[in-house]
Amino acid sequence: MRLTRNQADAEDLVQEAAFLAYRAFDSFESGTNFRAWFLKILTNCYYSKRRREKSRPVTSDLDDTPDLYLYARSGQAGFPTQGPDPAAQLLDKLGTERIVAAMAQLPQEYRIVATLYFMDDLTYEEIAHTLECPVGTVRSRLHRSRKMLQKALWQIAEEDGIVGDHARQADA
Amino acid sequence: MTRLNRSNCEEAFRRLDDFLDRRLSSDEMRLIEEHLQICAWCTREFNFEASVLNGVKRKLRQIEAPADLVAKVLSRLPTP
Repeated sequence: MRLTRNQADAEDLVQEAAFLAYRAFDSFESGTNFRAWFLKILTNCYYSKRRREKSRPVTSDLDDTPDLYLYARSGQAGFPTQGPDPAAQLLDKLGTERIVAAMAQLPQEYRIVATLYFMDDLTYEEIAHTLECPVGTVRSRLHRSRKMLQKALWQIAEEDGIVGDHARQADA
Repeated sequence: MTRLNRSNCEEAFRRLDDFLDRRLSSDEMRLIEEHLQICAWCTREFNFEASVLNGVKRKLRQIEAPADLVAKVLSRLPTP
């Protein structure tokens, strides 16, 4: 769902990928990473679907996010920036659904890399293999997607009033 | 890589992502760790970034597939 942005499309994508994987199962080499093999089919299905839709490239205001965005903004708003797990309070207040919504705001090429990294726990090499791109490309996209995700998370926190509430409590 | 000290926080910062993903050589990892032991400012930044990364991973991995998804997938596969 982090790729497609909605559940119905995500289910269609998984079903199509499962069907293709079943048909192509002879090409799976026993003893290799089945998850990586299936994710490659899944992402190829997604790219193929996107090409068919001929959608316009997504532009994003997240592109120019500075480093340490969430750290800087959290500090300004009175959220913890120290301790054993300093971002936990903000992420807990946001909740999983809103974190998913932040991921969905990333431009496609960054969303795919971030999904494989954050959700599927693939290594840089496995992501590069899945997407058929150099490891350096994965590294640079991951770096930018982390920054963009932080800005998207903060924007959602502002929309949801999480930041304002906390700032008011800190002022009280 | 030159030896890290208080004056080259920027050098440590450039390696932040690679450090958190453990993609540096063992020598570079050790130099960053040594820098973090003496630089409270960098330690705060590195800890916060690690907390964001791990927190997002933890939240996103809690999501379970819809209960009926397996049945839908199986229904599309040819019966043997």
